[in-house]
Amino acid sequence: MFEQQLFNGLTLGLIYALIAVGYTMVYGVIELINFAHGEVYMFGAFLCVTFINSLGVPLFPAMVLAMALCALMGVSIDHIAYKPLRKAPRLAALITAIGVSIFLQNIAMIIWGSRPAPFPRAAVPQYFSEQAFTLGSVSVSGLQLFIYVLTTAMMIGLTLIINKTKVGTAMRALAQNATAAALMGINVNRVIAFTFALGSSLGAAAGILVAMYYNTMSATMGYNAGVKAFAAAVLGGIGSVPGAMLGGVVLGVAETLGAGYVSSQYRDGLGYAVMIAVILLRPSGLLGKSVGQKA
Amino acid sequence: MKFKRGLVMALAMAAFLAVGSLAMAADVIKIAVPSPFTGSAAGYGDNVKAGVSMKVDEINAKGGVNGVKVEAVYFDEQCDPKEAATVGTKIAGDKDLVAIVGHLCSGAHLAALPNYVRIGVAALSPTATNVTISDKGKDSKGLYWSFRNVYLDDFQGVFLADYMSKVLGLKKVAVFYENNDYGIGLKDAFLKQAKAIGLTVVGEEAYMKGATDFTPQLTKLKGAAPDALFISGYYSEAALISDQAKKLGMNVPKFGADGMDNADYIKLGGPAADNTYLTTPFLAETAGPDAKAFIDAYKAKFKRDVDWMSANAYDAAGMILEAVSKVGADRAKIREYLASINTKEKAYKGITGLTYFNEKGDCVKPAYVKMVKNGQFVPAEKQMTN
Repeated sequence: MFEQQLFNGLTLGLIYALIAVGYTMVYGVIELINFAHGEVYMFGAFLCVTFINSLGVPLFPAMVLAMALCALMGVSIDHIAYKPLRKAPRLAALITAIGVSIFLQNIAMIIWGSRPAPFPRAAVPQYFSEQAFTLGSVSVSGLQLFIYVLTTAMMIGLTLIINKTKVGTAMRALAQNATAAALMGINVNRVIAFTFALGSSLGAAAGILVAMYYNTMSATMGYNAGVKAFAAAVLGGIGSVPGAMLGGVVLGVAETLGAGYVSSQYRDGLGYAVMIAVILLRPSGLLGKSVGQKA
Repeated sequence: MKFKRGLVMALAMAAFLAVGSLAMAADVIKIAVPSPFTGSAAGYGDNVKAGVSMKVDEINAKGGVNGVKVEAVYFDEQCDPKEAATVGTKIAGDKDLVAIVGHLCSGAHLAALPNYVRIGVAALSPTATNVTISDKGKDSKGLYWSFRNVYLDDFQGVFLADYMSKVLGLKKVAVFYENNDYGIGLKDAFLKQAKAIGLTVVGEEAYMKGATDFTPQLTKLKGAAPDALFISGYYSEAALISDQAKKLGMNVPKFGADGMDNADYIKLGGPAADNTYLTTPFLAETAGPDAKAFIDAYKAKFKRDVDWMSANAYDAAGMILEAVSKVGADRAKIREYLASINTKEKAYKGITGLTYFNEKGDCVKPAYVKMVKNGQFVPAEKQMTN
């Protein structure tokens, strides 16, 4: 049973990680906690299902389409809501982020209604619901396997983009010192837009996976996921992409084991307890670098 | 001097506004409908709104109550006790609102109730089943201001335990409950009766509203091999529990109460929703001719099947408007009238059957059992006489 719980926790953790990287990248680049990220995640799920239900697009193209639209949405959010506030105090941008989050949630309710909606079962391939393989006492479903493969592939892809490409280098430079990066000829706004696009499309993918995994989605699903992903990002060290990945996995596993062995009443509490413990012992998070005070 | 003139002006304004609102009051009879219209319980609020609006439209089509048009004023409290307290203060303070159909959630009803008791306005909840509401509706003079035309959780909980054990002969049950007034109240009543009749409870798991992942708890419970799952909560989480249980290979019958009674349960749960038994205060198949007309009109108007919440809300609005037609748009008199409906003979005859209240504003209503079979709600083959 322990192995099964661990595996279930891992599934959840990988999804948390996928949302958390979006948070952490935006934070790394413009030091903004983008509270609207959870709503982009929710929009991803709803857009994907809308493509499937209304336009008859098959699952995988619908997923890609939804991710692309969410990337555009992330860029638009930045352009409309955050860009005018770049030079304003950080609190102003933070409050705006909360505003955008509430706004998007209500827009979703107007478009898709306030009732939880099912994920179209007919669109999901049969082999997803079948058992892919058993490993000792652990049984893994086709969908779980798909989640592992896809999230891992996305994480690897993201790591490559950040470390091996020019735009990735620019992102890292911006995260270190935006002014210096601008002086070196980096188009700051374009890099920020790219960061939003990348993070938002990953968030959308996570939303689609969650809706598929649980067969359900709702206009309010982004809030909880957002808080969890935020916790995962903080746990791993906010601003650090590998940290967000690790943080997500740790949070997912801690929650699942907590619910399975301690008490399900405390499942959310246990996840946060782990986060607080890490912050107390390592204020910069698991993989975060401690930033020294400037002299 | 200046100050005085300002004061006179303000008083004049206030007097003008007061006269204005009095004149308004005669034009239309307003009832308050506080329920969740946004947030995770909005689907239920929508059902209540559908029921109330049908009754209001019907009465207005006949010319209103004694020639005065009726208007339902909807207040969104998101099923959140904090919001409900705020909304409750607002409703109690607005004298144009003659009575209340609501609240929907027990927790919200409990939070708002002190306002209604203090100011004196009757609240008739079509859906709040929590047991503790009964005693919280009493004011210092001993008058009860809270009524409901739905049965109580202790009744439902006991009924379900009896049904599982005595009618279906099940032995071991695992319990999931939502950590709020409704889920806990229902679960406690169920556990007490289960213990009394020798039904073994192999595990109890709590969850918060909006939770999505139940696999850890289910994995744990699977080891105890229950022959039934009792879910003391609402349909959206219940659908996930059923679905995830099925994925883990737990093909046991599921049981739930009114909170799970929603067509969306089947939509969300899919094939996993099959073999679920629910108690309901309103079973379309056993309803009379009035109810049949309502069911058809409902389907034509809202393009979905009627649910018990809409039916109860329709009757609750009907009772309040009947009170207004008999005693006028007066808050205290409406309460008095509702309290006087206290025997079967004086009962209000609505589409959900006869409704009458005991001295605490609670009603006695039978429960029916329906189940999900091949993706459809059907009456359970075996009903329990109560």
